[in-house]
Amino acid sequence: MTTGDWHIPPDLLERYLDGTLDPVGVMSVEAHLVRCGRCRTAVPADEGWLAASWERIAAEVTAPRPPLAERLLRGAGVPGHLARLLAATPALSRAWAAAVAAALGFAVAAAHLAEHGLLAFLTLAPVLPTAGIALAYGRRIDPAHETYAATPMAGAPLLLVRSVAVLLTALALTALAVPLLPAATMPPVAWAWLLPALALTSGCLALATRVPLPLAAVALCGGWLSAVTAVGAVTDDRTLPFRPAAQVLYGCAAALLTLVLYVRRHRLDPALEPR
Amino acid sequence: MTPTVSVRGLRKRYGRTPVLDGLDIAFDVGVTGLLGPNGAGKTTLLRCLATTLAPDAGELRVLGLDPATTSGRTEVRRRLGYLPQDPGFYPHFTAFETLDYVAILKEITDRRERHREVTRVLDEVGLTDRARTKARKLSGGMRQRLALAQALLGGPDLLVLDEPTVGLDPEQRLRLRALVSRLGESRTVLLSTHQTEDVAALCERVVVMEGGRILFDGTPAGLAAVAAGRVSLGDHRPGPGSLFWRTADGRYRTIGDAPAEAVPAEPTVEDGYLLLVGRTEEAA
Repeated sequence: MTTGDWHIPPDLLERYLDGTLDPVGVMSVEAHLVRCGRCRTAVPADEGWLAASWERIAAEVTAPRPPLAERLLRGAGVPGHLARLLAATPALSRAWAAAVAAALGFAVAAAHLAEHGLLAFLTLAPVLPTAGIALAYGRRIDPAHETYAATPMAGAPLLLVRSVAVLLTALALTALAVPLLPAATMPPVAWAWLLPALALTSGCLALATRVPLPLAAVALCGGWLSAVTAVGAVTDDRTLPFRPAAQVLYGCAAALLTLVLYVRRHRLDPALEPR
Repeated sequence: MTPTVSVRGLRKRYGRTPVLDGLDIAFDVGVTGLLGPNGAGKTTLLRCLATTLAPDAGELRVLGLDPATTSGRTEVRRRLGYLPQDPGFYPHFTAFETLDYVAILKEITDRRERHREVTRVLDEVGLTDRARTKARKLSGGMRQRLALAQALLGGPDLLVLDEPTVGLDPEQRLRLRALVSRLGESRTVLLSTHQTEDVAALCERVVVMEGGRILFDGTPAGLAAVAAGRVSLGDHRPGPGSLFWRTADGRYRTIGDAPAEAVPAEPTVEDGYLLLVGRTEEAA
């Protein structure tokens, strides 16, 4: 069927075009079409399908390869567009990750070398995600803020996506540092930073509905560091802020502040943001 | 019929300085140019319309919606394309990634549809061959075209363009004019500019602002007509107090009271604008 002067008979071509030809016949016709220009001209091209196919190919070729973090998130089942937003969070630069890692490194070293070094680790760790969030969103931080402010995801949706990205990264880096702490401080004490971190983060976002985000972060982180220091000085028990009773307080505060954030999330809109 | 944009008694202050002083205006389908000196309130007005800045007082309706409400703002943003005066970029993003990111923020979540849209707007602004170039490596004109491309994503009903021709070379400006005039056939395009020739070539309506108020609202021909009988050409330098410059053929073009031997000249949009703004400055 593919050699000599043979060409596809009209009745066979009609059945092929109608889609009523059996699979073996279809394969034979298509094998012949590859070699026979005359028969190809008898097959009408589906311009719409061709254009759509070229468009898809062009889109695949033009689209850049996503960065590693985005590919990992996609692999973990996060939808592609959300993975892109998370991975592109401004604060998640290598410099920020290096700064967090360095701060944690010093804190871990202090835990090994200094008498109250572990307290330094537990005090510092909750501050890191809040500081990162302050660097992730805002007119003074983000060079494209004014452009993004006019999109439907402006305000709370974008800020919360970026906050989640920063929080998870900071928590993951801190969690990686926990096994490096002295053996005597293993769970639950070694994880006593987690609930304060969540409370500070939700508190920072809730406060950002009233004051600029960087100011909220500075106020809360400064307040936390001052409070921990003051409690140690007043009660002579530096571990008090990390004991179970305090943890219950942080957990309640985190839940309450998250509720406040939910209720007041509309105030995070760029048109209304405090200056 | 309801206009695309309706503004009544709009006021905005920065500290004690009023920037918009009880503005009343409406915009509809077509291209409208905002002219005015620095500090006239053009950018503040456009930012209010683009929902990135809340006015202090007044009534605003954009696409029939109230941007003072959360739902109204979000819906306006879904149908809006905005090119800010100072569009920033993430330097490590390529042109494609920049647009892809904005497309996600514009809720185009399907990857194929998004990439198709990104490819389309890159083509519209002539940046297809720069899709993989990092934003930091693009020239100023290319970055401006990239900023325009993001505004076009999703085929918005309202386009707010703050100084879109800044940094563009003459050929790019012509391309931009062609693109904007085509867009203006079916949607509302508001653009602010300092280039009176862009207004003359592109806009069917021009609004001149000064001190947060409207000095003129009409056609470019109407703005040029403001200077009718006030523009002249002469061989001698006019006396002090006149606005004039020496033209390429060595004659003096004067706006205002004509010197004795000067002959009347055809006024341009720029003449009308300079006369309007100059008159205001004199009054002040």
